[in-house]
Amino acid sequence: MDLTLLLWAVANGVMVGSIYGLIALGWVLIYKCSGVLNLAMGELTLIGAYLCLTIYTFLIKIGHPLPFASALFLTLLACIVMGYLTERIFLDRLIGEPVLTVIMMTVGLMFVFRGLVGLIWSTDTRIFDPPVFSYDAFIVGGIIIERVYLWSMVAALSLWIIFYLFFKYTPWGLSMQATADDEMAALSLGISVRFVYSAAWIIAFMTAAVGGAFLGAKNGLNISVGELSLLVLPAVVLGGLNSVPGAIVGGIVIGVLQELSGFLLDPYFPGGVKDTAPYVFMVLFLLFKPYGLWGWVRIERV
Amino acid sequence: MATDPILKINNIEVKYHEVILVLKGVSIEIPDGGIVALLGANGAGKSTTLKSISGLLKHEDGAVTDGSIEFEGVRIDRKSAEEISKMGIVQVIEGRRVFEHLTVEENIKVGAHRREKGVSVKDKLDKVYHYFPRLKEKRNEVAGFVSGGEQQMTVVGRALMTNPKLMLLDEPSMGLAPMLIHEIFNIITQLHREENISILLVEQNAKLALNVAPHAYVMETGRIVMDDSSETLRENPDIKDFYLGMTDKGGRKSFRDVKHYKRRKRWLS
Ligand SMILES: Nc1ncnc2c1ncn2[C@@H]1O[C@H](COP(=O)(O)OP(=O)(O)O)[C@@H](O)[C@H]1O
Ligand SMILES: [Mg+2]
Repeated sequence: MDLTLLLWAVANGVMVGSIYGLIALGWVLIYKCSGVLNLAMGELTLIGAYLCLTIYTFLIKIGHPLPFASALFLTLLACIVMGYLTERIFLDRLIGEPVLTVIMMTVGLMFVFRGLVGLIWSTDTRIFDPPVFSYDAFIVGGIIIERVYLWSMVAALSLWIIFYLFFKYTPWGLSMQATADDEMAALSLGISVRFVYSAAWIIAFMTAAVGGAFLGAKNGLNISVGELSLLVLPAVVLGGLNSVPGAIVGGIVIGVLQELSGFLLDPYFPGGVKDTAPYVFMVLFLLFKPYGLWGWVRIERV
Repeated sequence: MATDPILKINNIEVKYHEVILVLKGVSIEIPDGGIVALLGANGAGKSTTLKSISGLLKHEDGAVTDGSIEFEGVRIDRKSAEEISKMGIVQVIEGRRVFEHLTVEENIKVGAHRREKGVSVKDKLDKVYHYFPRLKEKRNEVAGFVSGGEQQMTVVGRALMTNPKLMLLDEPSMGLAPMLIHEIFNIITQLHREENISILLVEQNAKLALNVAPHAYVMETGRIVMDDSSETLRENPDIKDFYLGMTDKGGRKSFRDVKHYKRRKRWLS
């Protein structure tokens, strides 16, 4: 077997996986802070990605010097509004309702958002035109690395660092961590749980939008980008639903798994091995380690 | 001349889930700058009383359905926990609820989430470390792993960061060794004196509470059954029997008395 090709598959896997890890971070945040299992994460990705593409196209038209970076930035600003509204309109009322009700709400949101995306942007594949990243790849140690992959990883890494600093050093970040740990105790200090829930949805929208924009810049943008970002589910199952580092590692592992299975198994099972492998892995993993690698098992208090 | 009380609970009735009636006409007054103790057996409704004041009740699907609560003359029983906290009331909930995955110092900093003009977080942090020097030593340890006494100090220190005028303490001595209880109560009375914080202290350890608070209320099944100065209460035969664990003669109880006491206590709760 060609070792260079194997390394190439792993390197690509790590880089794509860092995007999954970024989206998974947003997902875990909602789950940690508010206990909501959000099944509409793929749709948040679509909305963010399409919005970014629209702004990008517009900026190109007016000849803006930094179209992609500026489009991303404006999209992030829009995420603040969209995350806040989604939480306030659709989820705030369900606080304290049974878990299943809340999950069904996110399933509803999934279809509503998907419908909206279809309505606004139609279902044809759209591409970032002109391409955001040039196609001439780097060659590092004999491995070919596409620019879009490299920049995806850079974006994911930067956001991880920003969020880390936010959680560690700002009063808002600490309030979010506190609420995730013990909501009643956080309330007793006058922390606004509404603020925390909204912030979690805002950050989830942001990670999804950035992830979606890079996935779209690579393959073009259609509904399948939403399905790709559903890979957060195997990623967070692997990392343990409520661990942020777990989500990041889980995302990377899923990315590598995808590339490797495509590389190693496609010759024998032509077709969708790449799409199926993460879910097969998730099922097997759940059988043996239901709390994931880093999940907390809560100490019940009486 | 007596000043107005900082907190006035006027004959409140409290229900959970709209049907479970837990408080049936409770009235309590806390003088400005005072310490008041609230005693009672398990399940009497002490924690519910504190949650009614702090607004946390609403997050457990409970509500004050009759009567009123006034803080510094303003009615607060309809306000949210967030608003009540802003007005200067903080509840230290029972069971040493530290944020387990944060360090001791991060726990304390969470209490300073509302930034105020002119006071830096650093100054407030120093103040907490001044009262709880032990926490300074443990500042970088994960709060879930420090000792029970240190966790209790952490949650009181954390509450201090919110700049309270009134602190509601729910069984701070529970499950701690006598030495530690002594240390923590010394600090609490020091806080009370030096920071001029009024305190409502809930305790099952009546002896301790009556030593710290000059005035106490006794609660049974959702009602206040006694309300007097601690001196008088200490001499009350019922209190001695049920809460202080001694008979009229001041000696140890006979086996039969203990059994009777337990029976009565079970019936009470
Ligand atoms: N969230 C709740 N929902 C329903 N009933 C509750 C709730 N919290 C407390 N109770 C009931 O209210 C009564 C008083 O409880 P509590 O105030 O915790 O007593 P204490 O603090 O004196 O031990 C108990 O019978 C308890 O079962
Ligand atoms: Mg209690």
